[in-house]
Amino acid sequence: MQQTAISLDDVHVSLGRGAARVHILKGISLAIAAGEAVGLTGPSGSGKSTLLAVLAGLERPQRGSVRVGGMRIDDLDEDALARFRGARIGIVFQSFHLIPTMTARENVAVPLELAGTPGAFDRASAELRQMGLGDRLDHYPAQLSGGEQQRVALARALAPDPAILVADEPTGNLDEETGQSIMDLIFDARRQRGATLVLVTHDPSLAGRCDRTIRLRSGLIEGEEAETRRPAAAAAR
Amino acid sequence: MNAPLPQQPAAKAPLLPVSLRLAWRDLRGGLGGYWIFLLCIALGVAAIAGVGSVAGGLRDGLAREGRTILGGDAAFSTVSQPLGDAQRSYLAARGRLSSVVGTRAMARHGDSGSALVDIKAVDERYPTAGKVLLEPPLQLARALAAQDGAFGIAAEDTIATRLDLKVGDRVTIGTADFALRAILRSEPDKLAGGLSFAPRVLMSQAALQSSGLIQPGSLARWTARVDLGGATVAGDDALARFVADAKAAFPEAGWEIKTRNSVSPEFDRNLGRFTQFLTLVGLTALVVGGVGVANAVQAAMERKRASLAILKAVGAPGRAVFAMGLVQVLLVAALGVAAGLVTGATLPFIAVATFGTVIPFPFVPSIYPGALGLGAVYGFLTALVFSLGALGRAHDVPVSALFRDQVEPDPSKLRLPYRIALAIAIAALIGAAVGFSSDHRLAAYYVLATLAAFMLLRLVAYGFAALARALPHPRNVELRLALANIHRPGALTPAVVLSLGLGLTLLVALTLIDDNIHRQVNQGKPGVTPSFFFVDIPNREAAAFDGFIKSHAPGALVEQVPMMRGRITALNGVPADRIKAKEGSAWVLEGDRGITYSAVPPSGSKVVSGDWWPADYHDAPLVSFDRDMADGLGLAVGDTVSVNVLGRSLTARIASLRKIDWQTLGINFVMVFSPNSFVGAPHMVLATAAFPGQDVPAREAALAKDVAASFPTITTVRVKDVLDAVNALVGKLALATRGASAVTIVASVLVLAGALAAGRRARIYDAVVLKVLGATRRRLLLAFLLEYGMLGLATAVFGVAAGSAAASAVVEHVMHFDFTFSWLPALEAAAASLAVTVGLGLVGTWRILGQRAAHYLRQP
Repeated sequence: MQQTAISLDDVHVSLGRGAARVHILKGISLAIAAGEAVGLTGPSGSGKSTLLAVLAGLERPQRGSVRVGGMRIDDLDEDALARFRGARIGIVFQSFHLIPTMTARENVAVPLELAGTPGAFDRASAELRQMGLGDRLDHYPAQLSGGEQQRVALARALAPDPAILVADEPTGNLDEETGQSIMDLIFDARRQRGATLVLVTHDPSLAGRCDRTIRLRSGLIEGEEAETRRPAAAAAR
Repeated sequence: MNAPLPQQPAAKAPLLPVSLRLAWRDLRGGLGGYWIFLLCIALGVAAIAGVGSVAGGLRDGLAREGRTILGGDAAFSTVSQPLGDAQRSYLAARGRLSSVVGTRAMARHGDSGSALVDIKAVDERYPTAGKVLLEPPLQLARALAAQDGAFGIAAEDTIATRLDLKVGDRVTIGTADFALRAILRSEPDKLAGGLSFAPRVLMSQAALQSSGLIQPGSLARWTARVDLGGATVAGDDALARFVADAKAAFPEAGWEIKTRNSVSPEFDRNLGRFTQFLTLVGLTALVVGGVGVANAVQAAMERKRASLAILKAVGAPGRAVFAMGLVQVLLVAALGVAAGLVTGATLPFIAVATFGTVIPFPFVPSIYPGALGLGAVYGFLTALVFSLGALGRAHDVPVSALFRDQVEPDPSKLRLPYRIALAIAIAALIGAAVGFSSDHRLAAYYVLATLAAFMLLRLVAYGFAALARALPHPRNVELRLALANIHRPGALTPAVVLSLGLGLTLLVALTLIDDNIHRQVNQGKPGVTPSFFFVDIPNREAAAFDGFIKSHAPGALVEQVPMMRGRITALNGVPADRIKAKEGSAWVLEGDRGITYSAVPPSGSKVVSGDWWPADYHDAPLVSFDRDMADGLGLAVGDTVSVNVLGRSLTARIASLRKIDWQTLGINFVMVFSPNSFVGAPHMVLATAAFPGQDVPAREAALAKDVAASFPTITTVRVKDVLDAVNALVGKLALATRGASAVTIVASVLVLAGALAAGRRARIYDAVVLKVLGATRRRLLLAFLLEYGMLGLATAVFGVAAGSAAASAVVEHVMHFDFTFSWLPALEAAAASLAVTVGLGLVGTWRILGQRAAHYLRQP
């Protein structure tokens, strides 16, 4: 039986203060197997991105537990979480979120440098070449197209060889053709590296490429579908 | 399949090199929003390093030229009588001896009237070091020699102008006629005599003797200069031994000894005080600039929020984000400090290049590492103090901000380690300000005042915003907008109030102190404040002189007192040079003082402790001492004071303490002895004359001329001339002070400009939305005008109030005279504050008003 990469148990998240406080996740429990690709779908405000942030260690729940690779991360302090993310989680954002003052190579090298990995720049160059950006190594984000920027962001997410790759609507800011090529790169990388993938998307066809799709509504899991191509390793509880 | 994840997160990587790289990458595209930060630090550091370097140049100049200024390695001065033969022989046996005699007298030339001159009578060895420059370029000995029945003199050209003299003319000094042979352009030992307000006349000692000016008890200073061969022959230790031996050989000599290493301790001390004062003013500029630093770092962290969140998302712990910010701050601070140091270090060279010929002191421009180090320390500490808050908060930039627009405000509480670091930086800055200062108490007061001003200004900013919030919403849209802009988040209020408020407080305080000093110097009371001091009236001529004044200046109030010069040699048996006097009283022990005797308490003073002696007192000598000076010297009624007068030692018991009103400018002495103390001692009489009524200047001029003609050996000092000289000096000091405070104002303006620039984007957005909703440019302009006007006015009110309070404290508690508030400087400062705020605000606004709405509305 496959090991569990991520497990959430009765996770609650509220944001804001006072009258503006909003209960976003209202008791989410789920398990994702190692190597599984899971799509998170649902209407705006349903809590997809927040759920992604919680399982990537970017947001701390007020209640419930989050385990990643068997380690409970909801009670880690900020710095331990940062090191955990740097070593274990690769994140791709809808808005790319490259650092504008760094070149493509430097952007990709940052997580390696922070982790003290030797040869960070060589590895960053290799990742960028794999993404087809061998001639864009020393370009700044502003000198790159949207698709190229997202490929740099993907290379950065993959550079530390993370066990888990999370992507928040990675094609949301791209045209259809470019988005398609990015998704191909994401799924290829996940297949080649055996990483667990959690993907937030509005696009049913993208969700369809995952092993399993979890539908959220109003902070709760509304339902899920397993793709027939591959058996779901673990079911949402 | 992945291997199971380890239970512990990855090991900590060393942060600094990564932070250094990240910081450098961020900065290499340019300094972006850090320019104001850099300029603020550079300005403050330049002021502090520049003041220190210029002072160093002056101090070194004096030290290097000490032997030339002194005219030897050591100088032994006595007043009213020359050194004794035994003393001269003793000194002559140990080095090459030369002498000068200094006194003041009146010079007269035909109908051109009379003028006070400062005579230096020299021997044939003069000058022992350096050169005398004459015009025409004669040999000094030739210029001063007797020829055609008259001795020659060389005089500064001011006296030639005042008495309408040409080279070759005859001039009367004392009872003799002299020939003006040359104009004196420079003398190497000019500074040895201290500040003089009368022009110099150089003559031979034989000429002085012929003038009739020197009589027993005359107010003349005899100085024997000993040339030991300079530092190469007689090192500092040998010089100190020589002086100590001379003191031991003649303990009763009553001479004042100066050495080449301390030509003018008083000048050194005053220079030190003034340097410290200007350094504190420079530090104020740095602290005002600190507000700009804080704004810049805050804005930079806001701008980089996304980048910082990304770094955290890819594995950077909060402290790495902090470290990166800190490295950037230190790099920018280093650039600012370097720019400031270069400017400060070149200031002495610029001063010499620009004013070299008119600087009245020997000045050695050089690089002064101490002054530069001080500037650098202050620069870095200020940068840290004002940036650690914003940097520490960057630790907690939420990564989740990358997923959504900010929902929760940033946690505002700074983490404990950063609070500790901030506290250490503040303590270090305060410690440096107090520790590096020569007067720790003054510096501590300054620090307290600055901290109080900072806290007050924060309260004022908060209160002003709260008031704007609490006010009922006016119907007028422009006013409503202006009020809203004053209290909304990100408002300019704290930046304007803090930066401009602090600068304005300093400006108002310095202006009012300056104004009060001028008022104090010039506050003559007609008919009470003397117009003249008549010095060196021989005792035997006193009655005749009195009669003369009464007949030539009927109605004038004339006061005469006996006067001698003497030095305090011991207090309660402790030698004067071993006594630790308080700062304001040390001068009493230095050099010789005027002393008098009297059967009754002098006018203008009041006995506040002990008893005045009976009119017919004939027992052991008694003395009445000035109460404030007695406090400073640790003296009380019953203690003993030993003085040396005309080479004779006398010990008197303090019978009373007097409170003296020095402000009347009348005759007053720190020490008044019982009349029996100086029975039979030769002395002169000092007289004053005050003119009540009208037409005082004309009567003054006439009397001065008559006295000079009838009493040629009596010296007439016109109070107005002295006050003019003091005013000129105060004016020069005030100029330096204003220069330093201008740096603070520039820092304020920089901070304000930075704050305006930082808020520009939000302003444009507001303006665009308002324009879309129908606001015309005129209405927008009016709203901005009202906002800046109210801010400037509130700051001005605070600045004037706080500056006046500070000035009043300094005038009353440090300078010890009554404070008078003046509206004019206060209003000028307030107007300047308004003009700067509104002016700078509108310069930024003008471009905002012209923005086309569509361009901004299209942007995300």
